[in-house]
Amino acid sequence: MKKLGNTCKENVAALKGILTSEDILVFAFETQDGAACAAIYADGITDKALLGEQVARPLSREKTPKTAQEAAKILQAPETKTETDPLKIADEVLAGNTALLIDGVAEAVIIGMKKLSMRAIMEPPGAIAVKGPREGFIEDLKTNMSLVRNRLRTPKLQFKTLTAGKQSKTAIAVGYLDGIADEEIVKKIVDKIECIEIDGIPDSSYVAKFLAERPNSLFKPTGTTEKPDVLAAKMLEGRVAILVDGSPIALTLPYLLVEDFQGAQDYFVSPYRASISRLLRFFGVFVSVFLPAMYVAAQLFKLQILPLSFLLTISGSVQGIPLSPSLELFFLLLVLEILIEASVRMPKYVALALSVIGALVLGDTAVKAGLVSSSAIIIMALSGISAYTVPDLVGTTSILRLAFVVVAGSIGTFGVLLMTALVLYYLVTADAYGVPLLAPFSPLIRRDLKDSLLKTSMYGLDKRPKVLQSKNKTRLRNKGGKVNHGKN
Amino acid sequence: MERIKVRQLCFYFVAMMPVAKLLVYPATLTYQSKNDLLLSAFVNCLAEGAIVALVMLLAKKSGKSLFALLENTFGNITAKIVYGVFALFFFASALLPFMEHKNFVLQVMYENVPSIISFAPFFFVCFFACVKGFKSIGRMADISLPIFIVAFAVLILLAFPHADFAALLPLQGASAGEVLRGSLFSANWYTEAAFLLFFLGHFEYEKRASVKVIASYAIGSAAVLLFLAVFYGVFSDIAIRQQNAVAQISKYTTSFTSLGRVDYLFIFAIALVMIFRLCVPAQMCVHCLCKSFGCKPMLPAAAVNILLLALTVFFNYSFLELQTLFTQRLWFLFALFAYALPAAALLLKRRGAHE
Repeated sequence: MKKLGNTCKENVAALKGILTSEDILVFAFETQDGAACAAIYADGITDKALLGEQVARPLSREKTPKTAQEAAKILQAPETKTETDPLKIADEVLAGNTALLIDGVAEAVIIGMKKLSMRAIMEPPGAIAVKGPREGFIEDLKTNMSLVRNRLRTPKLQFKTLTAGKQSKTAIAVGYLDGIADEEIVKKIVDKIECIEIDGIPDSSYVAKFLAERPNSLFKPTGTTEKPDVLAAKMLEGRVAILVDGSPIALTLPYLLVEDFQGAQDYFVSPYRASISRLLRFFGVFVSVFLPAMYVAAQLFKLQILPLSFLLTISGSVQGIPLSPSLELFFLLLVLEILIEASVRMPKYVALALSVIGALVLGDTAVKAGLVSSSAIIIMALSGISAYTVPDLVGTTSILRLAFVVVAGSIGTFGVLLMTALVLYYLVTADAYGVPLLAPFSPLIRRDLKDSLLKTSMYGLDKRPKVLQSKNKTRLRNKGGKVNHGKN
Repeated sequence: MERIKVRQLCFYFVAMMPVAKLLVYPATLTYQSKNDLLLSAFVNCLAEGAIVALVMLLAKKSGKSLFALLENTFGNITAKIVYGVFALFFFASALLPFMEHKNFVLQVMYENVPSIISFAPFFFVCFFACVKGFKSIGRMADISLPIFIVAFAVLILLAFPHADFAALLPLQGASAGEVLRGSLFSANWYTEAAFLLFFLGHFEYEKRASVKVIASYAIGSAAVLLFLAVFYGVFSDIAIRQQNAVAQISKYTTSFTSLGRVDYLFIFAIALVMIFRLCVPAQMCVHCLCKSFGCKPMLPAAAVNILLLALTVFFNYSFLELQTLFTQRLWFLFALFAYALPAAALLLKRRGAHE
């Protein structure tokens, strides 16, 4: 495309030829000696007050600058750069910046004046902390970057800003700590993002799909967090952060499955409490996946496993139920999934009414009508609630739970064992970015076990996780926490 | 895909090796050696332990894979042929444990599903494992260790109160011939040294690796001997009829309490480790075929598992005949491949002509 000329009018016409939409406005004014100037901006995402104060007012009081650099000096804006390619200028305008054109200058000055109506920084609803910081990411990339920068005030914190999405031109920032994160992983991530060729990227989950080394996996491809403190802590361990404009969810790589069992709060309470919480989460996921399947298998194939009194209670409750245990539980779990889906989407004012319908009509009445047994309802409820001890894995556990019930109903206990073996074979061999998904359990990394399902005190976590292969291995030098008085 | 760590080898010997000997082996050994089953098993453990030590010596001295050693000594074609022959051996050594496990599934886990239907999906898991290579064996050993230790300890503790160890007396109650026959006829349960031979070159020999591996083998063998002692202590004269030993050993304790058969939970845990162990000979077979034919594992893995499934169906009602054939008639073949050939590997040239 032809570069900018010397005439302001022609340049404005050229840019308007590209930016034909009605919300692209031109603010025309003159310098002190009467040279025509034009500021081109996108209505609604540019700060008009700043445009007047920092651009129009200083220029109208000065003589016409001869170059774009000279004009930039006159402006009172901190963020400026020059550009001659009309297509790139158009991209900047669409990103919320202002393009300043001056008669007699064959360049445009791009001024950073983006102003979007953003929600305030608040506690993310999906990661509420009883103790610890409560701020969460929002949809603005720069705000999110500043939240991370505020927690890691070191020159080693690096951000590489990239753009992806042919139509959306979404800004993506790859953040890492120089000397701590593995540079090869950073390069690999940057290369993968640069290769993304898609129309638009509405959310970071789109980027996660492109970063996945196993795109069809049932398990998450990347770690996710909505909290700057968590992201900073992960970066300090040697992980790479990916922030996407328009998304409050940051991605982290490499990802380990055990991360989902670690809560932010674990680091703010005693290691004993943290270890118990983590074991409970693991037990919760275990119960959520295996309890319905074992109930079905026990009823169909292996009744001896139940104590006699418990067996009599269950056999009493299942008497006269028209469905087989596997079908009964399969349908109940399906109903649970439907209720969860509906409760997420339903308007709040009908939530109460639907809760009553869900709990009373579908639960109590179904038992009274003899359609399902009360024990199956208890199993379904236990399984459903337990899954939410690890919210990040809910999608995976709910699918696995259904699959295990089907297998238990058709092949029984051995089917459950086979399915477990298959999932384990998959997990132990699923490496991404050179890091095993199931580390530090398989392969066993003793040092990293200190912060896995059990957590030791801060002094025990003096080294960064070995599995992340950080160049700088030590993160705590004064292990004893002793005060160094120093001798002169 | 094909790397394994010394630590994982150790875990394999501690956790995965013993589970293969917890089903039919104790009853078979009782049939041959009566109350001297411990002596027979000890002879096997000693012999296999010695071969494990020799293979580790070879690992220390060469660090090369068996294929490279064979290639150095006899050339590429012979190496491929030897791997092909070993593939047949691993195929055969996988069959009997599969049949054992199929019967275990039928008799212990189900009462109402045809065993073939319930067991057939196992071959899909095995196929998946075969495609994943040695890396999956090592990593599964990491997973298996805590599962095995907890489950085995609980089962032994549950069985212990009902074990009368006086049943093992008098020592040498069986003749030396019977003890030796017991050892020879159970050669098909002692193929671990052959597996180790094929791990050569796939692990990095670290300081004191031999000691670690031999000590792990000793721990695994001690677990087997302890199991056999408790098993015979619990059942004594009727031990010969307890085909699925691991499922029977703790049943009296749990039956006398109001807990129900809670020991099943631990039997299931052992059965899970058994699944990982059962896949190993098939994985070895696929590895050998890949080396022989220079192909990727997908096709050999599919072929091996389909064939194993077909033979499992074919021998569905002939387990006893198959067991008799393998243990009493073809024992020398197992002894040759599991003991003699791994020991003979020490004679291979450790340096190539160009080195």
